[in-house]
Amino acid sequence: MTHEHAPRVNHRFDSLTINRLGLWLFLVSDASFFIALLSSRFFVSGTHTPEYVDQVLGLGLTILLLISSLSAYRAEALFEHGNIEGAKRMLLATIGMGIVFVFGVAFEWHEAFKHFPPSTGFGTILFTLTGVHVTHVVTGVLTLGFVYFRIRNTTSIGDNQFAVEGAVKWWHFVDVAWVFIYPTLYLLK
Amino acid sequence: MTAFMPLVRGIIYAAIGYAIGAGIALSIATTTGEPSTEPMIVLGFVFAVIGWLMGVGMWTTWGRGWFGKSTTMDITGGWERYLRFNVDHKVIGIQYITSLVVVFLLAGLLAMGMRYELMDAGQNVFTKTTYNTTMSLHGIMMVAVAVAAVMGGFSNYVLPLIIGAEDVAFPRINALSFWVVPPVVVLLLLSPLFGGFDTGWTAYPPLATQTPIGGLLFELAFLTFGISSILGGMNFIATIITQRAPGMTWGRLPIFAWSVLAASVISLTATQWVAYGLLMIIFERIFNMVFFSPPGGNALLYEHVFWFYSHPAVYIMILPAFGAELEIISHFARKPLFAYRWVVRAFALIVFLSFIVWAHHLFTSGMGESLHGPFMILTELISIPTGIVFLSALGTLWRSKLRLKVPLLFALGVVFNFSIGGLTGIFLADVATDIALQDTYFVVAHFHYTIMGGEIFAIFAAGYYWFPKITGRMYNETLGRIHFGLMFLFYNITFLAMFAPGTVGMNRRVAEYPPEFEFMNLITSLAAFALGLSFLPWIYNMLNSWISGPKAADNPWGAKTLEWQTTSPPPLENFDEFPVVTGDAYGYGDESVVHAKFPNSTNAVPAEGD
Amino acid sequence: MTAAAIWVLLTIIGELFFLQMDIFGEPVTKQAHFIDEAFILLMVLAIPIFTFVITMILYVVFKFRAKGDDLEDAAPVRTHKKWVGFWLAWTTILCLVVIVHPGYTGIIELRETNEEEPDLTVNVTGRRWQWLYEYEGRDVSLYSKDDMLVLPNDSLIRFIITAEDQDVVHSFWIPAFRMKIDAVPGLTTYFDVNTTHTGHFNDDVNFRVQCAELCGLDHSLMFTRIEVVEPAEFEQWIADEAA
Ligand code: HEA
Ligand code: HEA
Ligand code: CUA
Ligand SMILES: [Cu+2]
Repeated sequence: MTHEHAPRVNHRFDSLTINRLGLWLFLVSDASFFIALLSSRFFVSGTHTPEYVDQVLGLGLTILLLISSLSAYRAEALFEHGNIEGAKRMLLATIGMGIVFVFGVAFEWHEAFKHFPPSTGFGTILFTLTGVHVTHVVTGVLTLGFVYFRIRNTTSIGDNQFAVEGAVKWWHFVDVAWVFIYPTLYLLK
Repeated sequence: MTAFMPLVRGIIYAAIGYAIGAGIALSIATTTGEPSTEPMIVLGFVFAVIGWLMGVGMWTTWGRGWFGKSTTMDITGGWERYLRFNVDHKVIGIQYITSLVVVFLLAGLLAMGMRYELMDAGQNVFTKTTYNTTMSLHGIMMVAVAVAAVMGGFSNYVLPLIIGAEDVAFPRINALSFWVVPPVVVLLLLSPLFGGFDTGWTAYPPLATQTPIGGLLFELAFLTFGISSILGGMNFIATIITQRAPGMTWGRLPIFAWSVLAASVISLTATQWVAYGLLMIIFERIFNMVFFSPPGGNALLYEHVFWFYSHPAVYIMILPAFGAELEIISHFARKPLFAYRWVVRAFALIVFLSFIVWAHHLFTSGMGESLHGPFMILTELISIPTGIVFLSALGTLWRSKLRLKVPLLFALGVVFNFSIGGLTGIFLADVATDIALQDTYFVVAHFHYTIMGGEIFAIFAAGYYWFPKITGRMYNETLGRIHFGLMFLFYNITFLAMFAPGTVGMNRRVAEYPPEFEFMNLITSLAAFALGLSFLPWIYNMLNSWISGPKAADNPWGAKTLEWQTTSPPPLENFDEFPVVTGDAYGYGDESVVHAKFPNSTNAVPAEGD
Repeated sequence: MTAAAIWVLLTIIGELFFLQMDIFGEPVTKQAHFIDEAFILLMVLAIPIFTFVITMILYVVFKFRAKGDDLEDAAPVRTHKKWVGFWLAWTTILCLVVIVHPGYTGIIELRETNEEEPDLTVNVTGRRWQWLYEYEGRDVSLYSKDDMLVLPNDSLIRFIITAEDQDVVHSFWIPAFRMKIDAVPGLTTYFDVNTTHTGHFNDDVNFRVQCAELCGLDHSLMFTRIEVVEPAEFEQWIADEAA
């Protein structure tokens, strides 16, 4: 039963499809984590939101992330059309907004510490929700940065399609997660 | 000596990583307040795991690629390939199986210690603290074995073969999910040295937030183990979706692959919840947060989150076990799997229901009484799809031509044991009886019947069944029968006797108990020792046959699934020539159904074994 | 036919064996009575299923094992509509039956007394590793591990249970009464029992309050002895204690 020329693969999918599937599965899994996170809010501090919560900051951060999602989307679209320079600009813009977001959260933590430290019910929830989310933002910024470095000297799409696509999708996911966190944390009465 | 280099490097890098992580935590702590050890351990551990992974070979095979450098991937070689970051699914499967066998034996020895202590009512060898730590360690190590042995071990080895693939979808992630297991085991074994943890494997807070450092090690270990399990689930789903051989339609997929798919869906989504629960406990410990402690926190939150994972987790354990059981029964009964389509539907229903029954662990927890009824109903509904698995097993056996080999004996053992385990589950699902039985030895007996009687027996069935494929050698049939006979007998005595103290008022997790219950415990303990000894013929058989057993044929069982249509053990890329699937795998007694063709091979029809 | 006969025989033996067993001892409260009946009913229903599985395995092993080196395959029966339908039908029906009875009926029975005014209310607090009791309106409290929890017979007793704030989860379980519920810091739980028999810890160890949720070091020793006495005797005891 020996044959010289065994085919190297025995399935119909290219690696891009497989990677996409893998990423989606990972997002499903991570979404499950966020559901756990969000549901604990109601357990620990009901639907009550203290007055001290900085509504303006919350809204600002939300808008910032939504815009960054747009620029990330542009980066991917431009890259796919071979406009590497444009894609790089958009990536930088996204990374910049991400960094501003991280500082925004840092500022919020600074303020929040005075009113509800982690040892109070609402503080626990606020620090955990924003903390876990901001960790995702940081990984998002790092991945986008990685991608930027990978494509900075290229002129064609090459084998970087999934790198760009994956990083951008991850960023969208981080934004969507915030879209759920924001009302849960800020808007409930 | 060079063979051990990756491990040595891993340990050194882990030490360096630990120093870095602990250093960072220390410097943060000194600037903001008084330093404490727990944050140092947590951060140190995170970096240590990264160091360990990079050291054992993740850096050269994977990490360099992130920075645009070249990677080397060496998957050939002799035994030394098992000691490094290897991406071949067959190697990873064997790595999982052998390490988990060791964990199983250790946890079993701990159980022997517990049974020795429980032989009489008083306090003998253990202090209360060491008993609790022993019990908790036994629980968590066995749970780890139960979650990872079929999934990480046997599915890793068999799944790509059985669907005709050359590997899993993400070989490097696969290796990653194995290599985080050794740190888990190390943490668990270290924890008794740091005060242990007396919370049981369920780690309910506030108790769990107050344990010594040993408890923190346990929480980190469980959390890390969860990550491994999530990555494994993701990999198997992607593998089954994308790597099937041409012609392997969903309707032709062997039942074992279906069961792995079902279990993977659970481990992909539910495991995040326990990770979250444990993370919250760690946050409570190091940031003084108040998830679970009043005022502010809610102790029931953890119980919900924990069981939202840990109930589905029992189906991560049992579903692949059912898959292996049915697979073996069909091949040894020389008869197509009965009601195949219904079994697939049943698996899907079990997965769905498993997510919405968790609160049957909480009937006495003080949660809202309005939840009792719905959760009782949903839980009892699971018996319908589970019943279909029994229908399939019994239907396949009926009017078959049974070949009573050791794998089949164990598979029949699963049918027998799990019927007891499953039916006693109904007593616990019933609110009224559960109020009496919760946290008694009745529950302990129930879950040893389901996990050990169901899953561990299925693992042994799978172990004997795939032994010739994995090792290329045949085990000793007589010793195998002796092992089965002794294990089946003493297993049943041990755990049947364990129902009794539960109904008459003995609670679990105690080292001393009223003397009235001494007699039943003595029976259990004596039978448990005999059960322990019954593993000796197995250990001898496995080691001896692996080293010097007779060479096994490629297809000693004459089974039709694809893993038997290649050499034993299979070549690096699994098949010298890849198969094209033309029918399902259960065409016994039916010439018209041919599972696979090898277009270039003269040997198109699978050879019949002896 | 043979298989059916074995099954019936095993079932009869199993049921007879079980029904003459004294599993729990005497139920000493109305609730214990309900619970024991539920348990017995479930067992009566479970035995035929279990004997069916045993019968099938035994029968198949003896009847259908391949003899000698018979390498034939069996006849390829892949499924059987009627059998599958029949199997689905009986499992579903049985499942629905146990959901209604003893499932739902059991829940209702245990809550029967919730609206009633209890004859005696005992406030229970769990603390590592001891239970504290207050007889409501009776000016009697028990603080020591060695105290005997005395309860009146023929009465509706309500236990209102919690744990101290900085403590951990315990579980208030009285094996003889078959009832238990967790004592959770920050949460108040309760259960009711109607006592129907007198009894004393010295005669039956199950007359004890036992902590049933792992709470650390002395979890196993977190118990209180119980004595159930006639109401008159109980009033006498209360008077003595209060004095
Ligand atoms: C592999 C593991 C496994 C499996 C498969 C199961 C299966 C089931 N379990 Fe079990 N269980 C555990 C492992 C498992 N369990 C563990 C580890 C614990 C304790 C954890 C701890 O506290 O430490 C536990 C605890 C546990 C409890 C909580 C007890 C308590 O603490 O108070 C309950 C309550 O409902 C329960 C119920 C069930 C039910 C209804 C099933 C069902 O899935 C069973 C269904 C099967 C059948 C019913 C038999 C076959 C069916 C037929 C032949 C058809 C006809 C039958 C009928 C119509 C009834 N289990
Ligand atoms: C896969 C799951 C699994 C398996 C296989 C087992 C196997 C065994 N378990 Fe375990 N058990 C659990 C999962 C499992 N357990 C869990 C989850 C808990 C709950 C923990 C908690 O409450 O938090 C538990 C709790 C538990 C308790 C209750 C403790 C308590 O509440 O206080 C007891 C008591 O007897 C027990 C006994 C045993 C015994 C005797 C075996 C035996 O089957 C073990 C047999 C194996 C061996 C003995 C090892 C192999 C033999 C050799 C190496 C040869 C040498 C032999 C000798 C020295 C004799 N287990
Ligand atoms: Cu209190 Cu256990
Ligand atoms: Cu469960």
